[in-house]
Amino acid sequence: MDIKLLSKEQDTLRFVLSGVKPAFANALRRIMLSEVPVMAIDDVMILENNSVMYDEILAHRLGLIPITTDLESYNLPEECTCKSELGCSKCRASLSLEIEASDPVEVVYTSHLKPENPDVRPVSDKIPIVKLAQGQRVKLEAFARLGKGRTHAKWQPVSAATYSYDEKAGTFTFLVESTGALPPERIVLEAARIIGAKSVDFQEQIGGLEKS
Amino acid sequence: MIIPVRCFTCGKQIGDKWEPFSQRVRAGDKPAKVLDELGIRRYCCRRMLITHVEIIDEFLKYPQVSAKRRAEVA
Repeated sequence: MDIKLLSKEQDTLRFVLSGVKPAFANALRRIMLSEVPVMAIDDVMILENNSVMYDEILAHRLGLIPITTDLESYNLPEECTCKSELGCSKCRASLSLEIEASDPVEVVYTSHLKPENPDVRPVSDKIPIVKLAQGQRVKLEAFARLGKGRTHAKWQPVSAATYSYDEKAGTFTFLVESTGALPPERIVLEAARIIGAKSVDFQEQIGGLEKS
Repeated sequence: MIIPVRCFTCGKQIGDKWEPFSQRVRAGDKPAKVLDELGIRRYCCRRMLITHVEIIDEFLKYPQVSAKRRAEVA
């Protein structure tokens, strides 16, 4: 197996993978899409909202905001030691928002979200969340958690993970475009690690069958 | 209603591209050129901005008018 880096610009990574079967290349691609965990808001407590946008639409928009992910400091909620539905500081990070429009029209941006942990914050500061008319208020607390793309696309770390296969040369030219939640090379690395862990798990299951 | 946070099809974040896009297109730039420069390559993401209508601006007129009316009555 050999990997040759072609280019890396912002969130896009291009590389050539050779010496593997299409099944492996495709497994890598699909794991990047659906198994590599990233942070996304998945619980929102709305304390006040008299904007023109319904609570559920506001919550849905918050959920789709890509959030920078710190995989070292957080656990997946289902694997966390706290076993609580609410979550603890190791499996949940809160972001709060409180704003009242003083101008005739005020745009609420992701920069208005106050993160509890500065490492878990929106990828971009300039995403409009909602627009308020003078005097309208929004006050809420949002909780970001780790999750996987197979549960909901908001937890997908990539907006594109593709390859083209050259049958003659046996090479796969990959393109990985991150949403910004994780650097693209980290996504590939995590995907490889997950394939490894899955293979070990499979081996153990088979081993157990042989003994019995 | 308001610019979606992500592309419906691929999930690329496009929310923060709307303001520069609409400003530059209104100033007379070609939409295709602006999209290229904003790094929006796929046609699924490009249609998100090209076909968007910011209707929330129309909704915002209602609270503005009713606030003005309330001030007049009081």
